[in-house]
Amino acid sequence: MSATVQNSDPKDAKLRADIDRSLRHPVMFFFTSGALWLLVAVLLGFASSFKSHSPDFLGDAAWATTGRLSLAHQNILIYGWACQAAFGAIIWLMARLCRKESKNSILILVAGHVWNLAITFGLFGILLGGSTGVTWMAFPTAVWPVLLISYILIAIWSAIQFQVREGGHIFVSQWYLLAAIIAFPWVFFSSHVFVFVLDGHPLMKAAVSEWYRAGLVFLFLAPVAISAAYYLAPKVTGRPVHSYHLAMFGFWSLMAIAPWAGFQKLAGAPIPRFLPYIGAAATILFLIPALAVAVNILRTILQDETSASRNSPSLRFTMGGMAGMLILGVLGLFLNTSGTLAMTQFSLTGYGMDILAIYGFFSMCAFGLIYFVVPRVTRREWLSKRFITSHFFLSLYGVAAVVLFSIMGGLFQGQAQNDSNAPWADAASFGRAYAVGTTLAWLFIAFANTIFLSHLLLMWARLGRRSTHPTLLDSGHHASSPHGPEGDIDELQAAKA
Amino acid sequence: MSEQDPNARLRPDLDEEMNVAETHAVFEGATAATIRERRLHENGMEPVPLWLFLCAGISLLVGGAVLGKGGALFNYGQDSMWANEWTEDTSGGPEEITEGEVLPFFVKQGAKTYGKCAGCHGADGKGDGANYPPLAGSEWVTGENTEALGMIILNGLSGPIEVAGKTWNSVMPAQGPISAKDLAPLMTYLRNGLNDVGDVVTVEMAQKAVDAYEARGPGKTVTAAELQGGHMNLLSGEAMDPTTIIDFETYQPVGNAGGN
Repeated sequence: MSATVQNSDPKDAKLRADIDRSLRHPVMFFFTSGALWLLVAVLLGFASSFKSHSPDFLGDAAWATTGRLSLAHQNILIYGWACQAAFGAIIWLMARLCRKESKNSILILVAGHVWNLAITFGLFGILLGGSTGVTWMAFPTAVWPVLLISYILIAIWSAIQFQVREGGHIFVSQWYLLAAIIAFPWVFFSSHVFVFVLDGHPLMKAAVSEWYRAGLVFLFLAPVAISAAYYLAPKVTGRPVHSYHLAMFGFWSLMAIAPWAGFQKLAGAPIPRFLPYIGAAATILFLIPALAVAVNILRTILQDETSASRNSPSLRFTMGGMAGMLILGVLGLFLNTSGTLAMTQFSLTGYGMDILAIYGFFSMCAFGLIYFVVPRVTRREWLSKRFITSHFFLSLYGVAAVVLFSIMGGLFQGQAQNDSNAPWADAASFGRAYAVGTTLAWLFIAFANTIFLSHLLLMWARLGRRSTHPTLLDSGHHASSPHGPEGDIDELQAAKA
Repeated sequence: MSEQDPNARLRPDLDEEMNVAETHAVFEGATAATIRERRLHENGMEPVPLWLFLCAGISLLVGGAVLGKGGALFNYGQDSMWANEWTEDTSGGPEEITEGEVLPFFVKQGAKTYGKCAGCHGADGKGDGANYPPLAGSEWVTGENTEALGMIILNGLSGPIEVAGKTWNSVMPAQGPISAKDLAPLMTYLRNGLNDVGDVVTVEMAQKAVDAYEARGPGKTVTAAELQGGHMNLLSGEAMDPTTIIDFETYQPVGNAGGN
């Protein structure tokens, strides 16, 4: 494996290290605070799921009612974890791909703190009863302009880096990054203005809030996740991306299809008729870009002859995320046909699809990138491969269980809801067993993310391994490593001095 | 992409696989992680598998079918705002009505039974003008002689009979036996659906006609002369207000079970 030894331009490695160092603080801030919020969101998800079948849990305090816990759970998951993980990914990937050091790290860091303060304020706002009640826009209305301004201060530098990049060739990941950078303010600003500022029919506002949810997932989180996958797969395996044309097809089909999705949640409501039908069709068609991307990434990884696909934590999580994306696309096809849509509209199923998109797809890809980036920006290797495998499998089983229980339970629940002769309480009791299952599954995810957060905090405190070798998922040491004999980087530096 | 490629520096994040052991001495520990990184390749030109296009085609078909169900997507009329087909109709059709006014109900029920008579007397009850006398405007139907009318229906009629100023001479076969619950609406229909008399032949009255038919014995048609000889009466029985609410199952007035 290490028979052919190549020497690369030392300046390249130096440039990469310089870029990593310039972004160390903002990237680590987004990843660690994101992981912290993720744990909070998962615990809130556990509590709100518990409340949904056992209303006496946590007593009868107003802040602990299902409505507030559930809104807090979803909004913290989105803005606390998913957006922050995406920010970390965007600024690091864009700097690396444009070969530009970040010159605005302090400003990004400050904006990141503002973002976190706004989230904290929003969380207490929801729990104390000040929520707007709009599903993914539930923070008190004062919060969203702050979030938008912090976003601009975080992400605009990446757009500028892209503008002043060297060389003409644009890598696949950069397309997706640029799309995400542009899509977030568009989707976020237009939806919030329509819902909170302009006078409009309340029903249309509800429809816009559903479009916002789909837009945030398909136009912001999905492109960032796909971008990370397109970076990691060729980077770690050293192979070219399977098919450049397929990559282009996947990108443009996503960009053409995704903006139409979302309105199908209002099917049957008195809104202009084409909206729900187009929303349902677009969500069905998401399978096309999902297939193109997943096939491209998975073929790149799996046709690798080296052991990278088995041993790399980044690739393992990326493959998990690609599987999640495929499942999201296939389920989207089945759950949005007009027969089933009536059953999924107001039941647990929609929640299951949200969790599949955010955790099963986006977060798995984000974890993959985090496992790749953190050792580079901290100059320390991950401490324990057991932590990583536990994080992977607990996450995988947990999210699979949440999604399975929510979707199955939701279908039964939806069927019972649509039976106009049966009492409404029947619908809740049909879903009950599945709600209990969901609660248990959140425990798995909570455990997974406690491990992940501890691991990440240790890395943030620079307590990682000071080794020249990466932490891989294979067993034991190798007699010969492609990276040469293992050494302590500080000793190397000392020896040189 | 060889080392001599002059454009190599222009591509993003290019790097080479290298042996860390050989370069430790050159690089600081700072680059220990980044030096392992491999070059980013992207220009794979592998063929795209056919099944992927097939799956995309299936997805397109399903999406198109859903869109097609929308019908007039861009019609903004009031109807188009409601997509009722998304929700399943669980009401099981119009609700079963179990009671109502006697006259319209009897006319409706009688019209069904009259379907058998319409072959000769016509759906509008005007006869054919040659062999079958009319029922609409016939004094035999509208007169105070429901007893005779019942006998004609149940026993049939033969011989000449004068109807609406014309003498008819043909044979009407017997329609009996008919239950009183079928006969009453039929006679009510003849008098109120085809004509405009305004009274109801009750089930009790019809029962009298059925009783007389059974006493007389089936198989023998009546003649006009026989009818005029003592049968030109109303069937006996308590008259019923046409607006009386009756039960559609029992044909008895609601809240008046027992017939008092």
